[in-house]
Amino acid sequence: MANVLIVDDSRTSRRILRGIIEGMGHTVCGEAVNGEEGVRLYEELRPELVTMDITMPVMDGLTSMQKIHEIDRAAKVVMVTAVGQRNKVVECIKEGASDYVTKPYEVSDVEKVIEKVLSKE
Amino acid sequence: MFDRIFGEYLCTNGHLTREKLDRIFENENRDFNRLGVIAVSEKLMTVEQTEEVNHKQTGSDRRFGDIAIEMGYLTQTQLDSLLKLQGNSFFHFLQAAIDLGYFNLEQLDELTGQFQEDSGLSHSEMDALVSGDVMRVVNVYLPHQDRLYGRLCGIAVRTFLRLIDSRAYIERAFLTGNFDTERFACQRSYGTHSILSGFAGNGDSLMSMAESFAADKFEAVDLDALDSVAEFINCIDGLFSTEIYSEGVDVDMTPPMLYDRPVTLTGPQFCVVPIVTQGNRIFFVMSLDSAIMVKEKG
Repeated sequence: MANVLIVDDSRTSRRILRGIIEGMGHTVCGEAVNGEEGVRLYEELRPELVTMDITMPVMDGLTSMQKIHEIDRAAKVVMVTAVGQRNKVVECIKEGASDYVTKPYEVSDVEKVIEKVLSKE
Repeated sequence: MFDRIFGEYLCTNGHLTREKLDRIFENENRDFNRLGVIAVSEKLMTVEQTEEVNHKQTGSDRRFGDIAIEMGYLTQTQLDSLLKLQGNSFFHFLQAAIDLGYFNLEQLDELTGQFQEDSGLSHSEMDALVSGDVMRVVNVYLPHQDRLYGRLCGIAVRTFLRLIDSRAYIERAFLTGNFDTERFACQRSYGTHSILSGFAGNGDSLMSMAESFAADKFEAVDLDALDSVAEFINCIDGLFSTEIYSEGVDVDMTPPMLYDRPVTLTGPQFCVVPIVTQGNRIFFVMSLDSAIMVKEKG
């Protein structure tokens, strides 16, 4: 089972994601409320997977993911986005995001994406 | 949604008690409605004609529509359009009200006409309400027919009915340059258009919305509850930006803003849509290309 870091400014979103991730048997090793804190916690905790909201204050998800990749090129980052941020998602995937999930969450979709990304070498 | 609007009208005007209205909603039969009720409501047949068809139907296994066509009261095209309305919630409401013995068909026909007159609605606006099509209903209640306002509001109401409360309904929206509220959550998007969308409410009126979306309990409409409201707004804005993106309109959403203290919204002009949910009145606020400001009071 994997250690997962959740980076999201919304408490509601973090709580729902935590429930899904723990329901899959993984451990949520940390929660960050903005991209800057996400980078710091990534460095400290070195999780196997990061879920990263795109729209956040202080530092957005794309910048945070880029900084995490500067620390670890192999870091697995799943972007979290409201349906519709299509251009942002494309940009994130081009910049190295492993995959993305959309809000409102469909539990089975989130589970599928997390399993797929974690099973990649 | 029109079943809720019409039911509220009957209560407010003393035609029905709150208890009886609740019983109608409880008894709304989700199976098909009787065609006669729909035919009268759609002004395609009179009450007398439906009674005549019903009488002919007694003791035979022939269908209402076939007999009505044979008697020259309906054409095949009219029958087809009535059949499409059989799953409509407004007709479920009428059927339940008749089955419970609160009204007869003639009285309901009269009250529907009275509602139309009191609300100052045209025939095509009434058709839109009765159709059950949320986008059409929303356009009846918006103060002007701006295409983007209509689509944003339509997505908001449709998503509200889907994710928060399927029994909610809207009231007539209005344009204003000044609006006071005790709690407010909103999100701004920038790009081809400058957009603000948010939900406002007084006291604990936003509570049921926050709890429904988060599937969680809150003690008060505090920042945690407003965070849930904001996540819901984020979903609406996401769906809206998807829809307009395909037409070359590109907007970027920004992090939501939450206000758990009274604020005043000011701007040249923005739209406020009252939504009644779980007995509370809350407000969907939307502004397109208007410099709306949110100022904390005191």
